Amino acid sequence: MRNIKPFGGFGLGLRRSHYADFLDGDVPVDFVEVISENFMVDGGRPLRILDEVREKLPVILHGVSMSIGSAHGLDMEHLDRLKRLEQRIDPLFVSDHLCWTRTSAHNSHDLLPLPLTEEALEVVCANICNAQDHLGRAMLIENPSSYLTFPQDEMREWEFIAEMARRTGCYLLLDVNNIYVSAQNHGFDARDYLAGVPLDRVRQIHLAGHTPAEDGREIIIDTHDRDVCDAVWDLYAHAMRLLPQPVATMIERDDKIPPLPELLAELDGARRIAAEAQQGAAA
Amino acid sequence: MTMAAAPLADLQHEFLAQVLDDDTPLPAGWGARHAAGMAVYRNNYRSALIDALRATFERTERWVGADAFGRAAAHHVISHPPAGWTLDDAGIGFHSTCAQLFTGDPEVGELAWLEGAMLGIFTAADSTPLDAAGFSAATAGFGEDDWAGLQLQFQPGMAVGQVEYDLRAIWQHLADEDATGVDVTPLDQPMACIVWREGERSTFTLVSAVEGRAFAAMQYGMSYGDLCAMLSDELGMEQAIMQAGQFLGHWLAEGMVVGLAR
Repeated sequence: MRNIKPFGGFGLGLRRSHYADFLDGDVPVDFVEVISENFMVDGGRPLRILDEVREKLPVILHGVSMSIGSAHGLDMEHLDRLKRLEQRIDPLFVSDHLCWTRTSAHNSHDLLPLPLTEEALEVVCANICNAQDHLGRAMLIENPSSYLTFPQDEMREWEFIAEMARRTGCYLLLDVNNIYVSAQNHGFDARDYLAGVPLDRVRQIHLAGHTPAEDGREIIIDTHDRDVCDAVWDLYAHAMRLLPQPVATMIERDDKIPPLPELLAELDGARRIAAEAQQGAAA
Repeated sequence: MTMAAAPLADLQHEFLAQVLDDDTPLPAGWGARHAAGMAVYRNNYRSALIDALRATFERTERWVGADAFGRAAAHHVISHPPAGWTLDDAGIGFHSTCAQLFTGDPEVGELAWLEGAMLGIFTAADSTPLDAAGFSAATAGFGEDDWAGLQLQFQPGMAVGQVEYDLRAIWQHLADEDATGVDVTPLDQPMACIVWREGERSTFTLVSAVEGRAFAAMQYGMSYGDLCAMLSDELGMEQAIMQAGQFLGHWLAEGMVVGLAR
C-alpha cells in the first residue's frame, strides 16, 4: 500500500455557505476538506464547484458512510462511487471514521460505537484492507466521539487503533475534540490516549466545538456547532508537541456555520499553537 | 440473548433496533449511563434525518408550517428508516407520507413530490441538449420507417408526474422565505409536471396531461411511431401526428432531449 507522506498545513471544511468565497478569491488555507458523500453524485453544480476549487487547492475527501465497522462488510456501490470521485479529484487524503453506520437492513446516518473486541478489530481491519485495495491507496481513519461503551470491551480505544493501524497500514486522522469528548464521557485521561496511539501514523488533525454537559445530561456531545474550547486547544498543543512529523490541521464546523473570516481567525489560533509547539520542540 | 454474548452482527442489529425505536428494551446489564448514551444516539438519528428532510423540502415546510412539517418528518423517519448510504434517500417516499398525512390538503403531497424531483435532477449526470439545428441535421435523411422507429434520449434524472394543483403558482409564492401556505383550488383539469435541468438549475413546467403521458412513454423507450399510434386512440391519426410533432418541438426547445436512437 502506498505510503502517505506528511503534509503540514492548515485548512477548513468546504461548506456550501462559503462556496462563493472559495470560488471568487484566494482564501488563505493550505487545503480544504469535503464530505465525500456530498459529491459522490453523477453531475451538476456540486461537482463543478469541487472541480474548480480543486484547481486552486488540495482537497481531502472525508467520508461519513463507509461503515468500516459493519459486520456485513462494505457497501460496494458506495465504494465504487468513492473511487470514481477519488480518481476525479486526486485528493490529498481519503478518510472515514472508526465506527459503523448501518446493518444489512437500515442505515443510521450516524457514527455508531463499536465494541472494542478482537472480533470487531478483525472486522474493521478486513473492511479497511478491502477499501484500501479497492481505492489503490492507504486511508486515514478517524477516532470517533462516543456516548457509551460496551460491557464486553476487551481493550482501550487507543489500543484498538494502534493494532488497527499495525494490521492494515492505514494512517490516522486524529480528532482532538473527539478524544476530549470521549475522555469526558468515559472517564479516561485524554493524554493517555495520545500516548497510546501510534503518532507516527497521524497525517491529519480535526479541531471542533462540542456541546458541554448540562443539568440533566452528563454526556457531552460532539456537535461541531461552536468554537473550539480552551481544553481542546490545550490538548491540541500537547498533541503538536508529541507528533514527530508535520500534520494537516483543520477546523471542522458543520452547524451554525459563521462567516468565513471568523473561521479563518480560529484557524490562525491553530497556526499559533502549532508554531509555539514547534519552537518548543526545537528548543 | 444478551449483548455480551452476541457476535458483532447480532449486536449491531440489536443496537440499531434500539436506535430506531424508543420502545425497544435495552440489553440486560445496561445501566443508567448506557441508557443516557443511547438517548444521545436516538436523538442524533432522528434529528439528522429530520434536518435532511427540512433541507430538501424547504417549500413544503413553508407551506404547512414548521410544526406540522416536523410531525410529518418524524412520522416518515419512523415509518421509513433509510437503507441507502446517501442522506438524500431519507426523502424517498416523503411525498406519499405527506399525501397520507395531509389528506385535506392534497397539494402538499404534490409539492413534496416536486421538491424531491428537483433535488434528484440537481445532481443527475451532466448532458448536452440537442438543439433544433442538431435535431434537423440528425434526422435530415430520415425516411418514414426511420421516423416511426425514432426514440428520444432525455436528460438523465428527469421526472414527470400528474398534478391537480397549480404548482407554478405555489412554487412562486413560496420563493419568499417568509411565505406560508394559502388556500388553493384544484386546476380545472389535471396536468402533468415535467422536471428537468437548465444548465445547473433544476426547473419544471406544467403541460397537458396528454403531453405528460406522451413524455413518460417516450422516456420509457416508446418509439415515435408508437407514440403517434397511442395518441391516435384519443385524437385520431391526423391530429395525433400533429400533436406528437408539437410535443417533440416543445421538448427540443426546452433542452430536454439530449440524443436520438433508432
